[in-house]
Amino acid sequence: MNRFLSKDFLSGLLFIGFGLLALYFGQKLALGTPVRMGPGYVPRMLSLVLLGLGALICIVAAISGGELVEKPKWKPITLVTIGIVCFALLFERAGLLPALVVLILIASLAGEEFKLTEVLGNMVVLAVLCTVVFKVGLGMNVSIVRGIW
Amino acid sequence: MDLLDNLALGFGVAFTFQNLMYALIGCLLGTLIGVLPGIGPVATIAMLLPITFHLPPTASLIMLAGIYYGAAYGGSTTSILVNLPGEASSVVTCLDGYQMARNGRAGAALSISAVGSFFAGTVGTFIIVMFAEPLTRMAQKFGPADYCSLMALGLVAAVILASGSVIKAIAMIFLGLLFGLVGTDVNTGAQRFTFDLPELSDGIDFAPIAMGLFGIAEIVVNLERHLSRGSGTIKVTSLWPTAEEIRRAVPAALRGTFLGAALGVLPGGGPTLGAFSSYTLEKKISKTPQRFGKGAVEGVAAPEAANNAAAQTSFIPMLTLGIPSNAVMALMVGAMIIQGIQPGPEVMTKKPDLFWGMIASMWIGNAMLVIINLPMIGMWVKLLTVPYRFLAPAILLFCCIGAYSLQNSTFHVMQVAAFGVLGYIFVRLGCEGAPFLLGLVLGPQMEEYFRRAMLLSRGDPMIFLERPISLGLLITTALLLILMALPSFKKAREEAFQEEG
Repeated sequence: MNRFLSKDFLSGLLFIGFGLLALYFGQKLALGTPVRMGPGYVPRMLSLVLLGLGALICIVAAISGGELVEKPKWKPITLVTIGIVCFALLFERAGLLPALVVLILIASLAGEEFKLTEVLGNMVVLAVLCTVVFKVGLGMNVSIVRGIW
Repeated sequence: MDLLDNLALGFGVAFTFQNLMYALIGCLLGTLIGVLPGIGPVATIAMLLPITFHLPPTASLIMLAGIYYGAAYGGSTTSILVNLPGEASSVVTCLDGYQMARNGRAGAALSISAVGSFFAGTVGTFIIVMFAEPLTRMAQKFGPADYCSLMALGLVAAVILASGSVIKAIAMIFLGLLFGLVGTDVNTGAQRFTFDLPELSDGIDFAPIAMGLFGIAEIVVNLERHLSRGSGTIKVTSLWPTAEEIRRAVPAALRGTFLGAALGVLPGGGPTLGAFSSYTLEKKISKTPQRFGKGAVEGVAAPEAANNAAAQTSFIPMLTLGIPSNAVMALMVGAMIIQGIQPGPEVMTKKPDLFWGMIASMWIGNAMLVIINLPMIGMWVKLLTVPYRFLAPAILLFCCIGAYSLQNSTFHVMQVAAFGVLGYIFVRLGCEGAPFLLGLVLGPQMEEYFRRAMLLSRGDPMIFLERPISLGLLITTALLLILMALPSFKKAREEAFQEEG
């Protein structure tokens, strides 16, 4: 069982997955002939090669095993991703300041140490810095708080 | 004297007030991000890409080059002072640099590394000037089939000299090539893999991919690792090395410069390989190899000179042939394409001011770094004491705003998040990001050349074997692949990258 959790085996699966996805979404693209290739010719070729390489990596890993994948720590990657997505959602709808506050809060939670006063301080410093640099300095067309400034 | 005319043109461009300012800003920003532990030049350039997009092409490339050198210098500084290499190429500097610092010679180590790097940078720039024209002339004889084979060689060679599993790296190249095809097909106008998103019809933007794959993933990995600080910051006293130190450093720096410059030109070579090889060389020829690892001056001077010389000469294949040899150069190619410049031999003939201006500004950037870095060491050291829990959110914030500013669209910010996750998966599975990036950058061009070559040969793939240039390149590629499969070479390769960890 363990050898199927090795880094190599899983990355082989990843490549196979991408190869299949590319084949599936590329099936409607015209292939054309080798002389006049259609838009689908090169993608089809590449996805087949990727499938082959992925399978090869899987087979080698299944036979010889390999380094096991480390147990992932979910907290940092999840929180950082949520933070960026929240920023993207809030930036145009609510303005720079709310987006900034939410991103800093979530991103600070991703670290191992969290002190509210420090995070608040960090927010104030960054808010002032961003306003001065991006809004006043570079004249970016963003609102600090939507509807107010 | 063509050469002097060209250089004069270059310095004329580089010495305008505007371009000097951008070089300076680039160097400062690069150093600023580069001294932050755990963030290497690739991540630095990726994160700072957006700020250069609104500048004119020459200025933006000058600034990017400045950021690159700045990040490299910043990495050396942290290696010496706190034993935290900012990048793979300064891992070696840690070995002896940090020991020198602990022996109270931090100032000497810093100035030897800075002056050695400057000297190497000067030689590297000169080599670019010498080789640029002949190589460009050669490249102009290339047909579509030759270009296709050249790119294949470049991609394969980049894999061999990179660390990690070869077959995974090759798969990463193909994945990158596939991602490069997203968007409108230039020949037919068909939409490929766009999922009806208008934002994707021009292709996946290069900057959000680079920012997510390298910037975000690197921050997350650092957050996981609980980046610990080197205990007790080291005081920098006198910057002057002793006469004995100078006597030892000069020949080492010279050897490092030439070894680094030679290795930098190779596809996939670049700074890391140069630094590692020159350290090994110094240790082998030294009469007192036992001093290495305990603060040997040669162990700082040689790798520092080598990595800077290699950083310079790795511009050669990119500028003349349009083939990036490592991840940093792939970023530069991406930046050029965004500016509407197709990298390749035409750059030098059609845009001589940009070409020579950039080369001249490399030398100016190197000089600036010595001048600004040594007096400002105190400030950089202070920055190192800022805890990562303040820095990480701030870096994320600037990444997000930067991604938004590309086209004033939050779609790009979402892309950064998505590629951040993908980049994290790559790191966990031990897949290298660099081959992916090279494939991504070369993908569209390679498809174009491939289709053109096949059209010219009326669909006969033998064209790749019939043209002598193409055949030679393909034979080299095949030889490299066979070499990689040989067990003895495999072992040597693993040993060479062992220290890198």
